[in-house]
Amino acid sequence: MSSDVPDAGYLAALAGFDRMTVGRLRHLVRGRPAPEAYGMAAGTHRPSPAIAAVFAKDCTLAEAWRQSAQRRDPRECWEASVAAGVRVLTPADPSVPPQLSTDPACPAVLFVRGNLGALDARRVGIVGTRNATQAGRATAARFGCELAEAGVVVLSGLARGIDAAAHRGALSCPTATPAAVVGCGLDRPYPKQNSDLWDAIAARGVLISEWPVGTSPDPFRFPLRNRILAALVEVLVVVESRDRGGSLITVREAADRSIDVMAVPGSVHSRASEGTNKLLADGAIAATETADVLMALGLDHRRAGRARFDARTPLAGVDADVYAACRESPRTIDAIMLLTGAAIGEAAMLLARLEGAGWLIETGGWFEAVDEWAELA
Amino acid sequence: MFASISSAIVVGAQGHPVRVEVHVGQGLPGFSIGGRPDDSVREARDRTRAAILSSGLPFPKIKITVNLAPSGDRKTGAGLDLAIAMGILAASEVVSPESIERLAFIGEVGLDGSVRGVAGVAPMVGALGELDVVVPIASAAEAGVAALGAVRLVANLGELVAVLNGLIPWPDHNVPQSEPEPERLADLAEVQGQPMARHALEIAAAGGHHLLMVGPPGAGKTMLASRLPGLLPVLDRDQALEATMVISAAGVPLSPGGLVTRPPFRAPHHTATSAALIGGGSGTARPGEVSLAHAGALFLDEIAEFAPKVLDGLRQPLEDRRIVVSRSGINAVLPADFLLVAAMNPCPCGGGAPGECLCNPTELHRYVRRLSGPLLDRFDLRVNVHRPSVDDLLAHEPAESTAVVAERVQAARVRALSRQGCLNRSLSGSQLDEFAPINGPGRAVLRHELENGRLSARGYHRIRRVARSIADLRSTSSEVVDDEAVHLALGLRAAFTKVLPMGRVA
Repeated sequence: MSSDVPDAGYLAALAGFDRMTVGRLRHLVRGRPAPEAYGMAAGTHRPSPAIAAVFAKDCTLAEAWRQSAQRRDPRECWEASVAAGVRVLTPADPSVPPQLSTDPACPAVLFVRGNLGALDARRVGIVGTRNATQAGRATAARFGCELAEAGVVVLSGLARGIDAAAHRGALSCPTATPAAVVGCGLDRPYPKQNSDLWDAIAARGVLISEWPVGTSPDPFRFPLRNRILAALVEVLVVVESRDRGGSLITVREAADRSIDVMAVPGSVHSRASEGTNKLLADGAIAATETADVLMALGLDHRRAGRARFDARTPLAGVDADVYAACRESPRTIDAIMLLTGAAIGEAAMLLARLEGAGWLIETGGWFEAVDEWAELA
Repeated sequence: MFASISSAIVVGAQGHPVRVEVHVGQGLPGFSIGGRPDDSVREARDRTRAAILSSGLPFPKIKITVNLAPSGDRKTGAGLDLAIAMGILAASEVVSPESIERLAFIGEVGLDGSVRGVAGVAPMVGALGELDVVVPIASAAEAGVAALGAVRLVANLGELVAVLNGLIPWPDHNVPQSEPEPERLADLAEVQGQPMARHALEIAAAGGHHLLMVGPPGAGKTMLASRLPGLLPVLDRDQALEATMVISAAGVPLSPGGLVTRPPFRAPHHTATSAALIGGGSGTARPGEVSLAHAGALFLDEIAEFAPKVLDGLRQPLEDRRIVVSRSGINAVLPADFLLVAAMNPCPCGGGAPGECLCNPTELHRYVRRLSGPLLDRFDLRVNVHRPSVDDLLAHEPAESTAVVAERVQAARVRALSRQGCLNRSLSGSQLDEFAPINGPGRAVLRHELENGRLSARGYHRIRRVARSIADLRSTSSEVVDDEAVHLALGLRAAFTKVLPMGRVA
């Protein structure tokens, strides 16, 4: 093993071992140099009593790690990280924000793309379901944009739906320094259609992961990344969540850390708002506009709430009624006929007119209202 | 010592006359059948022997040779039993050859001498021309539909021999005339709300447009589809005869009147095999569901669950309106001109309002892709069907009944047929220019859709055909299709336009 490989290379290699868990990694690297920890895992160093006990509990683990060590050469791992522009840090690194490094569940190794200094500001997490409604995405984008304009760092998880909309909203503000915590290797944008977001966030803010480059987006990693997200924020806003949605894991992690949880109220008929409405019933703070979030942060809320320019011609008469109804909850053409009393042909004309003018959007036969924030979602 | 009897077989839905030649002569006792019989025909040896003996008639204890001419074609089915039995009796001079000269025989014989019904009597009788036909009592109605000569009914072999020997006259068997049940078709009045889906059904019936309904479980897709037969007009004489022939050939029981007058409605399960759906089978050419639905409607519920290969078999009948089934030694052309109605969920989880679906985009794509592009392309109407809301269920005045809608459908069909001689579904591009001109605003809408890549050239024709049908359905039908009809037509093929990449379908 060559001596010119920095410690970070050993850490990056170690973090990608088969069956490596957050706890095992912490045991390995705590209080000893990284090459020694790597050696113990790879079987070239005598394991410490604690590690020996872990090996004794699971007799196949030592062998699995020995094989992983053959695949994961510290130098190669180091070079892969460098090539991907990813820095490898331990919590002891001074650039790691203290609220993360002092967190009891802080990962033993952090992988970072971008500038961790971006987190030296007020931080709000915006999370929610991946299968969001048009309205939910627009709300997330609006919060993202207005919070960024107020100088707040918007953190999210870069998933589809609410996460992506919040990031896009934040990025639409030229001064924003957005941040994201993801559940896979930083060279593996997931979902693929968000890869532009990854690059934009890494360029202007920071991308954080506890997994080395090349790690695939396995389902078990997403709940784990939520704890890092929760540790990093001061206020957590849930925009839309299902009854048992993954965002509620983030909420639990936040509650464990006594972090304020806010939820955006939704229609009782919308399944996408079941989880958030329950959170409100359980005592979460309602977030209906950005000022609510700024207030929770203790910031002057009068700076926020600037109206966004809407280029569309204002609606009047029955058009306005239909738009208002769709804003309340998505409607089908059948419901619009019932509402307006129009015959089927007229209703089709009316909806086509509103869709053409950008007031409504149709998906699977449902018409959803498009508000002025939708273009950011 | 020789007799030649007229009978017939059915291949596909077509009858073919067969001469059953029987020779009874010197030789070692035996009984052989030539002329490419299949197993069921070969078994006739045992059946006819037992039936003749059970009827108290003599069975020759010498060499019996049966030949089924033309000998080159495969013969299947038990319908030749009666003719073989009569051939043996005539060749052994139990009945006189003169008495059977002008007769043809169709039917299966039982071991006790009884004569039983078989599938396909209508096309068989049709193939026998002006001969008088002797058929089992159970087949009376079917034979009556196609017969040019007299139809004689027999209950058993003994009776038949007695008649032929002049001992008794032709018996006057009372066909069990069950009172023709007033057909109880599901009525559209029972469908509450759902104006869009109802309208799509009406347009499908009027223009013959194939219809795909996309909606979550419980939206009423099956309920709507089962109301379609009531909207279709009663069959004309030619269609009725064709449909009757196919249904008879498949052995499906016919109504007491014999003739199929209502458009058939077939709804095969999604586990159907290719042979069941398209036709065929090993060594036979049984009509499949597409042929049984001829002149009517074929409903494929959960169409995405059908095997993709089976579904792709639908493309030829949809294009040619007939299906050619080829097996070794069999070549059958079956009619298959049907209206295809299909239903499926919007996604694997069932979907629903925005935000309810739990599927990721990859799953969604995979699900929709189970329908091949060319097949999806055949659906002029792709309509989203939603679960009716409480308001829908309560607020609507009583829905229109089938009778009211069927009248509009009939009027629209008459308009289309008198204008262009075919249903709107079959309008070609140049015919559309001539018979479905669109007004200025309507053209502008279509131009906009085409320019934005939301409509392909093929989709453009499809929209114009559907818009023509929409205009035809109005009480004030005009020759020009207006922009309202265009908008509605666009709304009626919205399902999946956003899931699928452009160009593949539209």
